Amino acid sequence: MSTKTETPVKKKNQKKIQCFWSWVIGSVILRLIIIYFPKNLNLSSRPEVSTPLTSIRRLAEGYWLKQSSMSPYAGSMYHGSPLLLTLLGPLTVKRIEGQPDHLLCSLVFVIADVVTAMLICAAGKKLQAAYSSSLQSIGLHHLSEDSDILPSGDFAALLYLWNPFTIVACVGLSTSAIENLMVVVTLYGACARLAPLAAFGWVMATHLSLYPAILIIPVILLFGYGPDAPPRKLFRQRTNLEVDDSASGDRSCLEDELVNEKRMLNVFSWRPVVLFLFWALLWSSYVLVLCGIYVQQHSGLQEMFKSTYGFILTIQDLSPNIGVFWYFFAEVFDFFRSFFLIVFHGNILLMILPLALRLNHRPCFLAFVYIVLSSMLKSYPSVGDSALYLGLLGLFAYELKDMQFSFFLFSGYVGVSLLSPVMHNLWIWRGTGNANFYFATAIGYACLQVLYLFSLISGPLLVLILLLSLFSLLLFLN
Amino acid sequence: MPGSANSMLSTQHVSHANKFINDLTHSDIESHKTVAQYMSALDAEVTYHKFYPQLNQFHPLHFFTSSDSGIISKNISCSSLGINVAGIIRAPRGDGKEAIVLVTPYNPKKVGPGEALSLGIAYSVFSLLSRVTWLAKDVIWLVADSQYGEYSAVSAWLREYQAPVFHEAEIVNSETCNDSIAISELGQNPYSDRNSYGGFRRAGTMAAALVIKVDEQGNHHEDSLNIYPEASNGQMPNLDLINIVNYLGVHKTGFRIKVKKMFSLLGSRWLNTLGGIFESLGQIARSLNPQWKFGISATEYVEGAATLASSMYSQGLGVPTGSHGAFRDYQVDAITLKISPKDSPTKMIRRNDFILRGGRLIEGVIRSINNLLEKFHQSFFLYLLSSSSKYVSVGVYMIPFALLVAPLPIVAASLHADASKSTLQSTYSSEVEVSHKSWKWLNSARKVLVIHLWGAVVSLLPYFLYQIPNSTPTTNFTVWGILSAFSLIILYFILGSPIFEAAPSQPEKGEWASLKSVTISTAFIGLSLMSVINFATAEIGALLIVPICLMARPLKLDAQARSWRALLRATCNLALGFIAFPPVAYFLVKGAFEDFNGTNVGDYWNWVESLWTWNSATYLYVGIVHLPCWALCIHILFHPC
Repeated sequence: MSTKTETPVKKKNQKKIQCFWSWVIGSVILRLIIIYFPKNLNLSSRPEVSTPLTSIRRLAEGYWLKQSSMSPYAGSMYHGSPLLLTLLGPLTVKRIEGQPDHLLCSLVFVIADVVTAMLICAAGKKLQAAYSSSLQSIGLHHLSEDSDILPSGDFAALLYLWNPFTIVACVGLSTSAIENLMVVVTLYGACARLAPLAAFGWVMATHLSLYPAILIIPVILLFGYGPDAPPRKLFRQRTNLEVDDSASGDRSCLEDELVNEKRMLNVFSWRPVVLFLFWALLWSSYVLVLCGIYVQQHSGLQEMFKSTYGFILTIQDLSPNIGVFWYFFAEVFDFFRSFFLIVFHGNILLMILPLALRLNHRPCFLAFVYIVLSSMLKSYPSVGDSALYLGLLGLFAYELKDMQFSFFLFSGYVGVSLLSPVMHNLWIWRGTGNANFYFATAIGYACLQVLYLFSLISGPLLVLILLLSLFSLLLFLN
Repeated sequence: MPGSANSMLSTQHVSHANKFINDLTHSDIESHKTVAQYMSALDAEVTYHKFYPQLNQFHPLHFFTSSDSGIISKNISCSSLGINVAGIIRAPRGDGKEAIVLVTPYNPKKVGPGEALSLGIAYSVFSLLSRVTWLAKDVIWLVADSQYGEYSAVSAWLREYQAPVFHEAEIVNSETCNDSIAISELGQNPYSDRNSYGGFRRAGTMAAALVIKVDEQGNHHEDSLNIYPEASNGQMPNLDLINIVNYLGVHKTGFRIKVKKMFSLLGSRWLNTLGGIFESLGQIARSLNPQWKFGISATEYVEGAATLASSMYSQGLGVPTGSHGAFRDYQVDAITLKISPKDSPTKMIRRNDFILRGGRLIEGVIRSINNLLEKFHQSFFLYLLSSSSKYVSVGVYMIPFALLVAPLPIVAASLHADASKSTLQSTYSSEVEVSHKSWKWLNSARKVLVIHLWGAVVSLLPYFLYQIPNSTPTTNFTVWGILSAFSLIILYFILGSPIFEAAPSQPEKGEWASLKSVTISTAFIGLSLMSVINFATAEIGALLIVPICLMARPLKLDAQARSWRALLRATCNLALGFIAFPPVAYFLVKGAFEDFNGTNVGDYWNWVESLWTWNSATYLYVGIVHLPCWALCIHILFHPC
């Protein structure tokens, strides 16, 4: 019987995959077409796309400084990782006659996008397998059959590839494509229980943009408990039911159930976690050694940390972007500055623990929520960060099918992403507006993200904290 | 305070200017040399700027890119070379970082009497400014070669001033044109040894610019001054510049200041009646309490309304009303002052008096701008003029617009809620269907997206149609219409199979409602976006598209209802659907704002062409927002529910 039911499912999957590959190739072709019109779009200089951390122009400048045997961090131009310089730096210099500048770099970003999508797809498959097995263990077989309708991995991958934000970030030569790749590598490694891969992804992501450091909690949970499952009390309920049914039965049966329960409860297993931590240590020391070698002629690792992590944490660059920090810290008095720096960064840390407690049975979803949170509260956000969490949304398509406000959120994202360049134009090029015009769209974007988070986790407390912090910001400004 | 200083322009300057005008109109040497000669006699730095007239090209993405470097057409000939002459007076008290620009367009091939007079006025002011001690900003006098249109001359000079492109300069100075008379003679100009420079000379950032023109015909009433402020995409210069001109014109020089108004509205009976009602209301209010002073006389009301309509129409078109529009692209405030004398310039008896008055006005304006310590304040860019001294500020005109579009999101939300509720009830039996209820709108969103893509395709089509040689506007318009319809059908068939998959298999009750809610929200987004880019377009567009968006309801349902209300609604829908069709809407708006003289479908094509040659955002609005929303509304009207 089981073989009979499996064949149509398999067929459906095959059909999906055929369509899937043509969509993937279509997205690559679209990117290549847009890459050939770089002058018309001028995306790489847009504040929504390239932040001081992800701009390719700054990277090229850093590479140039390095080539003329100066520190790449001289002059506060480059704030990224030295490893990116060795990878992308030579490509920024190479020009092919008759082709647009930075063609090779854009190809790297296209490849990074495709690999990210593939990894999301693979992670989705792992998640789905875990999901259906856990459903079966509860006894809801029919639900697991229904869930085949949505191959969430493929869906998420296509969502990531066709998201306009991803395309814009890729064509705008923002290095956030590579940061996103590393984050997804972490997730995939953790889902597939490959400790070295997950550790590598986590170390690289943290090294590149610092904020993914908080992903260590969901990754440890993933290694400890395994992928997402329904809450553990559900398992317990089911076993209790069975115990009640078989209460009249003999004792050996009961013992069997107890063994079963233990297996299903998935107690926290320390071995893979320790393995992961070991590998993380190994990789991070390796990365540090590499970086140290790269910057040793200059002032060494200390300068690197100062102008990468220090730059992120102290928010020195106040050029406009789609976040709210630049405006706030342009207004704030100098003697309050350090206090508000602590408050703003504490905002992320404040929410880590309650979220981890609430979602500890769903580590993947927890990681997703952390990604949303950090891309919302990070100091130099860009559309590349939103691209990642909007793509990952597809992974949880089945869980979020009842998501509230989906239409409102969609319209809001469309509206804000169209309004933001217009406001920027009004402010910078026409001179008829001022900074408040552009900041208004940034506030709108922040509110949208809060609502998005709200509809994801529907945890009133967290949203209250977020909204309070946002409104306190607004009040302070007035 | 503007105008607090006494005017220093004397009859002596005027007589010099008269001599200059005579030399210009009667001498044999080329007029740009005469101009240069006179300029350098005033110790001004004189430079020639050679340029090729640049054809306006269609840049669909121009709005979002910054001021781009121009692309010259490849087949340029030396005969089409234009020569601007610019004279710069360095300010004795300034640091050379700011400048004021005077522009006088003229045609060197045939200097008309009006142009000569405008050059004379500028010369009288220029000769005064070269001697005064109070000048703190440099003064640039640009004599723009208007034989290929004054706008292109001014914009070419500005482009060279603000954003020089080096390969372009090479083309101009290349060998190909060396045998041309113009350039070889410029090099050995005997008069300008002292003050003429080969290279392009610059002064500082421009604080403001004035374009001076004199009407060729007299108006037989009085000397009046027309102000033309609108630049591209409905951008306006700072209101203070208009205020200075208005104040000085009225209080110091006795010009009658005019802003363009719609003469068709002045005679309209309903507007006069409305004005009468307002007048009597004001009188009643004043009789109740003398403190209330909101009464306005009927004539004033009608005049204000006509001016406001004209201001809105020319802002909404997005086409600059003169060569001052080129300055706005570089954030320089500029207006055109068109002086129209009582008598025709050819047989003018009081020419000296006229030059004196015009010169004093310009002198006063320049002196006021000269005394500014900072830039004009940023707050006064968004306004509509209702007379030369009155305006409607952004804070006021945004309220009716907000009220007009506010129903859109509310109706969209209620329809969306209803649609998701109805699907919940109808398909409660199957568990899977219920599970996707919150994403039901995705299907409609895909349809709306496809239609908007179609709108983008339609607005790109003229770019290709323009390549067809020897075609009349009417044929172009017909081809455009046919191609648009054809592309719509193709989109339906190609994308139809995967995208409209769900629609035919299970025609749902709430399908049109969800489609309508998505349509309305896109219309809302588009209108709000447009209100930021060009308010006047958004306002006129909202008047046309909002009613049909709100009213649209399948005709079939109304026919089934068979009540008076339903029939009335169906008729209204049909009428509104007809009105909102872009060509019809164009003819209606044109009929309302301009005169109906011979309607021809080719006119629409011409209008569209003028919009995209000026890179007007209105064009994009019509193509990407208005047309798809209209098409979707029609789709809803004929929905088989």
